[in-house]
Amino acid sequence: MINALLSLNADLASSIAFRYACRLMEQTEMRLQSIHVEEVGKESYPPGSGWVRHTWEKGLVQTAREEIAQLMNAEKASCPPLGAPTVRVGEYDEELLHELTEKSYDLLIEGVLNSFHSQPFYKKIRSKLYKYTPCPILMVKNLVNPGRAALLLSDEPDVRPLVSVFMKLFDARGGDIDLIYFSFKKPGQSVYMEKIPEDGPSGEHGTARTIFDTAKSLLAEKDRHPKETWVIRNTAENISEFLSDYGLIGACFPRSVHKDSAMLNLLGRIPSAVLLCKK
Amino acid sequence: MKILLAVDQQPYSAHAVQQVAKLAANTWANVSLLTIRSKGEARKSGTAPTPIGPSADALFAHREAFLSHFGQGECPYTSSGDGKLTEVEKGVFEVLQPSQGARKNLSLRLRTGEPGKEIISEAAATQSDLIVLGCDTAGGCGWEGSTAVPRKVAHDAPCSVLIAKAEKAVKRMVCCLDHDRVSQASLEMINQMVTLNEARLTIAGLSEHQSLKPEVEGKLSNILTYYHSRGIDPWIELVDMVSLDAFIVREARWGLMALWMGKQSILEKALPKNKVNKLIKGSEASVLILR
Repeated sequence: MINALLSLNADLASSIAFRYACRLMEQTEMRLQSIHVEEVGKESYPPGSGWVRHTWEKGLVQTAREEIAQLMNAEKASCPPLGAPTVRVGEYDEELLHELTEKSYDLLIEGVLNSFHSQPFYKKIRSKLYKYTPCPILMVKNLVNPGRAALLLSDEPDVRPLVSVFMKLFDARGGDIDLIYFSFKKPGQSVYMEKIPEDGPSGEHGTARTIFDTAKSLLAEKDRHPKETWVIRNTAENISEFLSDYGLIGACFPRSVHKDSAMLNLLGRIPSAVLLCKK
Repeated sequence: MKILLAVDQQPYSAHAVQQVAKLAANTWANVSLLTIRSKGEARKSGTAPTPIGPSADALFAHREAFLSHFGQGECPYTSSGDGKLTEVEKGVFEVLQPSQGARKNLSLRLRTGEPGKEIISEAAATQSDLIVLGCDTAGGCGWEGSTAVPRKVAHDAPCSVLIAKAEKAVKRMVCCLDHDRVSQASLEMINQMVTLNEARLTIAGLSEHQSLKPEVEGKLSNILTYYHSRGIDPWIELVDMVSLDAFIVREARWGLMALWMGKQSILEKALPKNKVNKLIKGSEASVLILR
C-alpha cells in the first residue's frame, strides 16, 4: 500500500493532479492524504502573538480547508472519498518537507502545469522541496491515463534506484512497463527510434543493451518483464513527442543535477506525469 | 448549426467538401454550398435565366460528392431539387429545394463578384455559424491563385472560419485561449473536429510572465471538465504571450491550429493581421478561427 501525500491548492494544476491520483488509485493500492499549505507573506502576519496570532491562523486554516473541500467535492463523482485535508500555514516547501518527514510518506504527488517554456520546470527542480525531498515526487502535468508506463534510461549505468523506486510504488499496479534508452542527436549523427527484439543481434546498441539487461534482471526479481524496449536517438522535441503516449514515466537523476543535463531537458518537455527519484 | 461551405473548381475544394460532409454527418448541420463566379464568367453566361459555366458545374459536382458521403437511408439532406439555379436577388442564384422530405437543408447558392467579399456577405445574410473553405498549400494558401481570399474571410467574417488545407491529416488540434468568454458552440465544434479526426487536443492557455489570469485558469478548468465528460482528455500547456510565435511554429505541424478570437481577446492584438496571415499562408496546418 502506497502512502501518498497529494499537495492541493484551489487551482487548475491541483485539480489535474487530484484527478490523476484518483485514476492511479484505481490501478494500485494507495492511501491518499491531501495537504494544503496556506502561504502567508511575512508582512501579512498580524501584529502580536499568543491568542491573536492563534485565532488569525485558525481563521486562515478554516478558509483554506473549505476551499480545498470544495475542490475535492467537485471531483467526488470520479474519485473515492478521501479524508479531510491537512492544512498547514507557512512556507510551501518547508511545510511539505516537514509533513513528508514527520509522517514518512512514500510519495508526494503535485500538479505542475505543462509549459512551453522550461523555466517553471527548472524552478521546481531547483526548489528546496525537490532538492531535499525524502521520497519520490510524482509531477503531474496533464490528466492522462496512467496505464502505460515507461522507465527512462540514459548513459547512467546504475538503474537500481529507478527500478527499485518504481517497483516499490507500483509493483501491485497492472499495466505494461516499457524501457526506453535515449540520447540526444548531435550534429552529423543519424537519428533512430528502434524497438529492440529479445533475440536481436547483440552487437548493436551495446551500452543500451547492458543497461537494459540490468534493468530487466531487477524487474525479473519482482516477476515483472518489460513489454517493449526502445533505443532512441533524436532531438529532445521528437523524443518527448514519442513519450507523450505514456501515462507515467519514471526517471532518476542526481541531487546535484546540472541544468544542462539531457535527462532534465527531456523531463521538462514531457507533457504527461513524471515520477522523479533522486540518486 | 449552419455551415457555409465555399467552393471553387480546384481540387482543394473537393477536400473541404469531404471535411464538411464528415462534420455534417456527425452534427446534422444545415449546409449551404456556395460558389462565386467572376463578373467575366457572368458576362459569358449572357442573359440566360440560369447561370451556365464552370462555376455552376462545379457547384453541382460538389453537391454530388457531398451527398455521396452518406449511405443510403442515412442522408438527412434532400438529394434533388429542380436542379436549376434561379436568381433570388441581383447576382445571387439558388437551387430551390423542395420544402418537404428533407430533415436538414442543403442549399446551393451562386453569387457573382469578388470571392472574399461575397463569401462574407453570404455568411452574414444566412447567419452562418461556420465558414469552411479549402486552399492550395502549394501556392501559400491560395484560392484560385489569390492568397487574399482565405485571409480576407478569416479576418472579416462575422462567424467562425475553418481554412482546410488539403492532404494534411489532423493528428493534433491545438487551441489557443486567452480569455474566458468561450461559446458553447465553439467547444462543441472543437469536440467534433477532434472526434472526426481522432486527433489529440491541446489547449494552450496564454499567459503573461508565466502566469495565467485567474479567469482564464477558471475557464480552462471548466473546459477540461467539459471534455472529460465527453471522453476526451485534452492537454493543457501554458504559453507565454512573448513566445506565441515560436509555439505556433512548433505546433502548426500537427494539422489544425485553432484560435479563439473573441472581441475581448488579446489574441487580436498579439496576433495582428500579418501574423494570422503568416499562419494561414505559411503553415502546414489547417486554421480554425473561433468567434
